[in-house]
Amino acid sequence: MSSSITLIENLNRDYICALDSLDMSAWLACFNLKGRYTFISEENERRGFPIAFMLDDCYERLQDRVTQVVEIQSDSTEHYQTRHFTQLVSVSETDNGLINAVFNYSIYYTQRDNNLTKILCVGQYFDTIKLDGDNASYIERKAVTDTNVLPRYTAYPV
Amino acid sequence: MSSTPGNEPLLEWPAKYNEVPKQVFEMDELWPKELETIFYGAEWHPIVHRAEIPNPGDYKAAELGEMPIFAVHGDDGAIRVFQNTCTHRGTSLVTESSGNKKEFECPYHRWLFSLEGDLVGCPNSRDFTPDFDKKNFSLFQLRTEEFCGLYFVTMSDKTPPLKEYLGESFYEPLSRVLGGDGRLKLAGYQKVMYDCNWKAYCDNDGYHAPLLHKAFALLNWQGGKGFQRISENGHLTFESELKIPDEITALKDGSILDFKGTTTSTGSIVQMQFPLTVYSKHMDMLNIRYAFPKGPKGIEVHYAYFTHEDDNDEMIRHRIRQSSNLLGPCGLISMEDASVFSRIDKGNKTPGNAIFQKGVQDEYALSFEVKQNDESGNLPRWEHYRKLMGFKRAAQ
Repeated sequence: MSSSITLIENLNRDYICALDSLDMSAWLACFNLKGRYTFISEENERRGFPIAFMLDDCYERLQDRVTQVVEIQSDSTEHYQTRHFTQLVSVSETDNGLINAVFNYSIYYTQRDNNLTKILCVGQYFDTIKLDGDNASYIERKAVTDTNVLPRYTAYPV
Repeated sequence: MSSTPGNEPLLEWPAKYNEVPKQVFEMDELWPKELETIFYGAEWHPIVHRAEIPNPGDYKAAELGEMPIFAVHGDDGAIRVFQNTCTHRGTSLVTESSGNKKEFECPYHRWLFSLEGDLVGCPNSRDFTPDFDKKNFSLFQLRTEEFCGLYFVTMSDKTPPLKEYLGESFYEPLSRVLGGDGRLKLAGYQKVMYDCNWKAYCDNDGYHAPLLHKAFALLNWQGGKGFQRISENGHLTFESELKIPDEITALKDGSILDFKGTTTSTGSIVQMQFPLTVYSKHMDMLNIRYAFPKGPKGIEVHYAYFTHEDDNDEMIRHRIRQSSNLLGPCGLISMEDASVFSRIDKGNKTPGNAIFQKGVQDEYALSFEVKQNDESGNLPRWEHYRKLMGFKRAAQ
């Protein structure tokens, strides 16, 4: 399990570094072809409501998320620098050989216009991960945010 | 008239009807007057749809201006809206944004209220004032009216009946936003805080500037034929066809832009109800945007999304995928709206007036003849606001 944890931690590191450097290709590379990504409020998740802030439920949607950030909305977004802080709090193996992991996360953001740093959101990642030799990739990463009211519009995945 | 203690008006309005003083977004001292005349005045404010609290005991907390309120579904099936305060010492009764309770108990002195707002228990009442009667201590209930399952409140007994207040040109399309018959199911919320004055939000979220949306161009998405209707009391309705190209090359998965259009052939309805509520039906997304100003600066917007009771599983999934990816604070076609609110607010710290151009034929007259994308449709709302606030218009 310890080598699995290393792979899981490395995958998570690749993921948060990709977002903090806004390298959307590297973000996409964290997912395999069955990959899904969801960014949803804790309120909706707890109450069983499916509406999400972002719902990329197939690989094509993940590709379109990259297009949205890089091409479609790049000129209308006031860029903000994020810093992701994460901590692995749970890991287990499923019956079909996949890994379930849970990370706590807190994300700070700094706006370039005023250079003030605030909290964007705090929550947990619920991951389903496929390990293939020395490779790890997300089948699913669901970011559930305790911050049910986001402090600003959010242009990038978390 | 809004005035200082010396009785001088806080603000003089420009002579031209297409000009709005930027100060109106930035003067914190306007907020108490806005609360009094607008939020606690003769206007209707939507608070909850029945689909949000479908079962007896379900409740939803909200705010009207700065006043905490909550809507509750009673055992008798009726939905009532109360001030969120114990009638004894004023403690707030509801602390969660939503939930389900059999009754509402104040933790301070254990006063107990039924779902219908009646005081049903209060320990030690033998020691109360001699003429104490529980019947006189029911929760404070707000005047409420319902349309297609949506419940509106007003603080004034002078507010006209709801349908008269909205007008047919507004409530007819609103019924279609609400699924045609109001038989909706809540699919969830997206909640966000925008860093701007509430008037900067309502001046720009209802009115849609197509030029802002790069997504429209990249997707080769054209608005199609449409119209804009406005009323003297500031309500605004946009309705248009949506021409989605057969093939969308910019996206790998174009299915989120499908328009299945089961209830109407119209692709897009956007409505702004004075003072600040937006309703929209873009393609198959049914959306109410409840908005709560946090004082003169900052506005919290709750995008509530719905499916229809008659939807099959495919339609439900489609609405959820579309709503979660196109609208709201992260949406493909609406994030630009969100981004522009704070930029407008920053720009409004400069002197002078914001000037409306598109569709203005006569700067010194108010016109209700507007075309689909004219920004002049916002002007009747500003005139309604000016009159309510008592600002004198400067001479020509």
